[in-house]
Amino acid sequence: MSKGKKKMKFELFIFVFILSMLLAGCSSGSGSSGSGDGQTTVTFWHSLTDTTGDAAEAVIKAFEEQNPDIKIKAVYTANQGEGQNEKLLTAVSGGNPPDVAYFDRFEIGSWADQGSLEDLTELAEESGITKDTYYPFAWEEASYDGKLYGMPISTDSRLVYFNIDHFKEVGLDPNNPPETIAELEDAAEKLTIKDGKRFERIGFIPWFGQGWLYGWGWAFGGEFYDPETKTVTANDPKIVEALQWMTDFAQKYDVEDIAGFTDSQGDGAMDPFLTNQLSMKVSGPWEVSAIEKFNPDLNYGVFPMPTPNGENHTTWSGGWSVVIPKGAENKEAAWEFMKFFSGEEGQKIFSEIARDFSVIDSVNEELGYTEDPILGEFVKILPVSNNRPVMTQGSLYWNELASAVENATRGNGTPEELLENVTEKVNKELNK
Amino acid sequence: MNGNAQKLDPIKSSETPYEKQLKLVPKKKKSKWSNYKYGILFASPWILGLLIFYAIPLFSSIYFSFTTYSILQPGEFVGLQNYKDLLSDSLFWKSVYNTVYFAVFFVPLSIIFGVALAMMLNMKVKGMAIYRTIFFLPTLVPHVALAVLWMWLLNPGFGLVNGVLNTFGIEGPAWLGSVTWSKPSLIIMSLWGIGQAVIIYLAGLGDIPEDYYDAAKVDGANWYQKMRHITLPLLTPVIFFNLVMGIIAAFQQFTLPYTLTQGQGTPANSLTFYVMYLYDNGFKFFKMGYASAMAWILFVIIMALTALVFITSKRWVHYQGK
Repeated sequence: MSKGKKKMKFELFIFVFILSMLLAGCSSGSGSSGSGDGQTTVTFWHSLTDTTGDAAEAVIKAFEEQNPDIKIKAVYTANQGEGQNEKLLTAVSGGNPPDVAYFDRFEIGSWADQGSLEDLTELAEESGITKDTYYPFAWEEASYDGKLYGMPISTDSRLVYFNIDHFKEVGLDPNNPPETIAELEDAAEKLTIKDGKRFERIGFIPWFGQGWLYGWGWAFGGEFYDPETKTVTANDPKIVEALQWMTDFAQKYDVEDIAGFTDSQGDGAMDPFLTNQLSMKVSGPWEVSAIEKFNPDLNYGVFPMPTPNGENHTTWSGGWSVVIPKGAENKEAAWEFMKFFSGEEGQKIFSEIARDFSVIDSVNEELGYTEDPILGEFVKILPVSNNRPVMTQGSLYWNELASAVENATRGNGTPEELLENVTEKVNKELNK
Repeated sequence: MNGNAQKLDPIKSSETPYEKQLKLVPKKKKSKWSNYKYGILFASPWILGLLIFYAIPLFSSIYFSFTTYSILQPGEFVGLQNYKDLLSDSLFWKSVYNTVYFAVFFVPLSIIFGVALAMMLNMKVKGMAIYRTIFFLPTLVPHVALAVLWMWLLNPGFGLVNGVLNTFGIEGPAWLGSVTWSKPSLIIMSLWGIGQAVIIYLAGLGDIPEDYYDAAKVDGANWYQKMRHITLPLLTPVIFFNLVMGIIAAFQQFTLPYTLTQGQGTPANSLTFYVMYLYDNGFKFFKMGYASAMAWILFVIIMALTALVFITSKRWVHYQGK
């Protein structure tokens, strides 16, 4: 062999080697194509761990038994929550998405508007699935512009947890928890023990835990969105009132001292409500399992978020859904899986293991959630629960409201002007 | 492969050119391509990577900054609208303020502490290797772990920092929970990780010839005069390097505040840094066009500052042998 030929071979080898490496890097990693034996593989991206992960696994197992021709390939992808969907985002824009994704319903509006979710309206109609099966807010949150984009899976609601022993200690009646804002303030004051700048115990912190402005705004009777004009209404006088109340609270107890207190606390077993340092806290049903796990002796109860006049108690709910990202390969098989997951059978399996509420009322009843003294309260309020507005700028609105609360309670501007700014900024984006 | 092995052989490689000269030179001059061929081939993964994952996105972001690109949709061409919107975006200005605040305090402090530490670690004391290792160790800690660690240290209730302050009778602030103290807290945290710069300063110190100090000693200079007139001037090339790198890093501050505040920039946006807001716009709010515009503004700012440092460097940077 001549030297030149050898050299050429070597060059060719390098070239092919590099090329193959590049191609391997670019090629589809999802493996969502059908395999040889007539079985369709559906790739399912989710962010479920621990008990919810086990629950999803059980659902998949049951589904595969009933549908031997479909195989579900579940892939864990972290951070699939409030605006943290980078991985799905790039997968969709790269044209290589999974067939099904576990998806925060709150994000459906903006993703559907970007044209990155498959329209499920027709598939649902063909399968005879209607909104009557589900809680109204769950269906509404999964739809955008009159079309269905996701199948609801789970939900929650928010109530105020309170420490019964603390109530008794300061002479409050635990069977008669606060109903009005004034009663709540009164109870908070009685329960708080402050020594100089340090809190030994705080009665209540409106914005702690799940005390988002959404909850208080609705409790005060405000509306965050006008579906007619498709504009946000954060400057609703009732919402301004709610934020004013939070701000007054911050001033009364000194917000930096409260921050000093809350920053000293942790999550899980270190949560101040679990360590008896906070007497009342807005939270969701998941708190129950945390209490069972870390402080089973805690003597506690729940009551709805108080309102100014003590009537029309409400709350808000979020939750998850399953969606088909735009460009998914096996839509039909994916739909079968979603139908099962979101249907009564799948819901029963998932909800029972995950201890997350089902989006179907009868399932919650069947699983005994309604009879539980604590969880029952959460289920009871679901029919009047609100959902965050379905809109293209859901994440922006959420962030803006959260910083409005931060800024108002820290004294950077009045609630009125801050919410005026939020309204202006979000509406400007909505009109683009 | 044979040809290659020959070249690597030290004995033969010294012979080959000589042989080749005898035989091959009259034949013809090798073309440039055949000289660079292997080099380019071996570098090609890097070159391709640089082009595909760096150059193309970089230059397309110029175009995107003039559109409403959202990653999922190409968007429309809107001219300078993104830039105009930015100028009236209060959170943008807030993030600029936070970032400049951080850079103005952090960069000089990191140089002062870095040089001071390097000088101390340059003393001839027993077990210096151990001290040097100790000061370098924090840089090995990932930013996320660093954030968690410092959240504990600065914990207003049980934190070590407030605990120590307490023994002196000082009631410490809420640190990360306080609007006034959140940025200083972040500066303190970042200063903890200057080991990398210290290593470079140490190398710079090692480069200063002993002769100067000997001469100064003969002239009766004290330690301050030596530091002021020998060490610092001859360390300026290294300080210059660290200044430029420090400015760039300070303006790109992201991981630490993002982890500390779960991306929220709390309290009250006092930790919303420029790149954090950029990231939110691009990946949370579907405003990649807007985010691209922000990126280019940042690029111009950093470029301008770097240029400024380079221009002034002629006056204060002293290279040895010049």
